[in-house]
Amino acid sequence: MFCAATHTARSDWILAGSAALNHDNNVGNAENAASVVADSRADANVSLLRQIPLGDGFSLATGGDVSGQIYDHLSGLNNASVEGILSLKKKWGLGAFAPWSRAGISVGRVDYDDGYRDATLYSASLEAGKRLDERWNLWGKYAFEWRRAAPAESDLYGVSSDVFSQRGGSFKVGVQYSISERVSLSVGSLWRHGDVISTTQPGAGIFGNAKAVAPDPTFGPDAYAYRLVGTTFGARLGLDYSLTAHSLIGIGFQRLDTHARGGNDYGDSMPELTWNYQF
Amino acid sequence: MKLTEFTATLGLVLGCAAVAHSAELRVTVKDHKGKSIEDAVVLAVPADPRGAQHSKAPQDAVDQVDKQFVPFVKPVFVGSTVRFPNSDNIRHQVYSFSPAKKFELPLYGGTNAPPVIFDKPGVVVLGCNIHDWMIGYIYVAETPFFAKTGPLGTASITDLPPGEYSVRIWHPSMDRAEETTSRQVAVTAEPVTSAEWQIGLKPSIRVPRVSGAASPSYP
Repeated sequence: MFCAATHTARSDWILAGSAALNHDNNVGNAENAASVVADSRADANVSLLRQIPLGDGFSLATGGDVSGQIYDHLSGLNNASVEGILSLKKKWGLGAFAPWSRAGISVGRVDYDDGYRDATLYSASLEAGKRLDERWNLWGKYAFEWRRAAPAESDLYGVSSDVFSQRGGSFKVGVQYSISERVSLSVGSLWRHGDVISTTQPGAGIFGNAKAVAPDPTFGPDAYAYRLVGTTFGARLGLDYSLTAHSLIGIGFQRLDTHARGGNDYGDSMPELTWNYQF
Repeated sequence: MKLTEFTATLGLVLGCAAVAHSAELRVTVKDHKGKSIEDAVVLAVPADPRGAQHSKAPQDAVDQVDKQFVPFVKPVFVGSTVRFPNSDNIRHQVYSFSPAKKFELPLYGGTNAPPVIFDKPGVVVLGCNIHDWMIGYIYVAETPFFAKTGPLGTASITDLPPGEYSVRIWHPSMDRAEETTSRQVAVTAEPVTSAEWQIGLKPSIRVPRVSGAASPSYP
C-alpha cells in the first residue's frame, strides 16, 4: 500500500540516518574555570522527508526526524527529540551547478532526563547555495530559533526563572571541497546572536546580567543556570570519507566562542566522529 | 528454376558469403597497471567509407534505476532514437548541456518521456535536475561498428567486414584526447581479431549523493 501511494504521488522519500561521537570541553558554557565541565556524548538521528517536485524548479519537502543524545556522565542532559519540517526549495536554473534557495520552518519537542530542560522548538530558516563545479560547493543559512521551556517553579530574588526558553538568530556559511573521489574537506563558520545559557557557580557578575536564573542540579548541587544575551562566533573543520555511494564517515572539529553581556565570555571545543547514511 | 526460387537461392548464397566474411574485433582495454577498464567505448571506423553504410538498430534506451542512469555509458549510432524510461518510483528531469545534443525532458515518471534523436556525433553528458549526483554518458558514434567494455575490460565488435579500420577508445575519465588513442587495425577473414589498448584514467570527482555533517542535510 505504501509503494502504491508513493507511486501515485511520484514523490521522493528520503530516508537518512546519522550518528556521531563527540567530546565537549565545556558542556555548561561556563566562564569560570572551576565550573567548566567536560563530557562526551553519542548522537543519533533518523529523518524521513518526502520531496515533491512542483515544476519550474520548485520542490516541497515535508517530513520529520527523531534524534537522541546520550552523555557519558551528565545523564540529566540525555535527551530525545522529534521534529516536523516543511520547506520550499527553488533551483534557479537547470543542472547541478544552478544556484538554489530554500525557506523552511520546523516545530519540535525535546525531552531531557532532568525534566526541567524540556522544551518546544520552533525555527524558521532561509538557505542559499551554489555548487561551482564537481569539487566546490558553497552554501549559507540564516535561522531564527525559539525554544520555549516551562519555567522553574519559583523566581529567584525577583529574577525570572525561565532560563531554558531561548531566542536567537544565527548565520552559517560553509564551503565543501572534494579532494579526491572519496574524500572531501568542509569548512564552516557561524555567527549567532541571542539568548545563551551558562551554567556555573553563583556569582554577582553573571547574576547582575542574567535575564533568568535557576538551579541546575544536573551539573551539581551548587550549579545555577543563567540566561544571558550573547554573541557566538564559531568555526568547524571537517573531513569526510565516502564508504559507499550512500554513506560516509567523517571527523570534525568545532570551536565556539561566546561573548555574553557583562563580560561573561566562554568557549567550547568539540572534536567529533560522524557517520551519515542516505538511501 | 522459377525466378522466385532463383532469387531465394541467390539471397541464401550471398547471405552465407556475408556471414563467412564477417569477423569479430575483440578489444581489451586496461589501465597502466594492467587493471581492466569497464565502460570504455571502442569504435572502429572503416578505411573504406562504403563499409560504414550500415543500418544498426536505431532504437535504444537509458533507464533510471535507484537514482542512477543505467547504463552509465551508452554508445549509440548517429541518428539513433533513445528513450529514457524511468524505473524509479519518483520523477526525474533529464537534461544535457552537451554541444552534441542539448535537450531537457520535463519532470516525468514511468515511460512518459518522448524519445530523443541523437543526430550529431560526440559525447552527451546526462544529468537530472532533481538529483544532482546523477550522471550518465551517451556516446554518439559516427560509425556503426562500436562496442562497450564489460567488467573484464573486453568489448567485441561483431559482423565486421574484413578490411582496414581506424580503431579508437573513449572513456568518461580518460586522461587524454580520444583521437590520440587511434590505431590502424587490419581485420582479416579470421573469425576473431584481437587487440589491446592501455589508457590512463583521471580521478573521477562527482557530485556526492550524501552530504556531510557540515553541509545542507537534504536535497
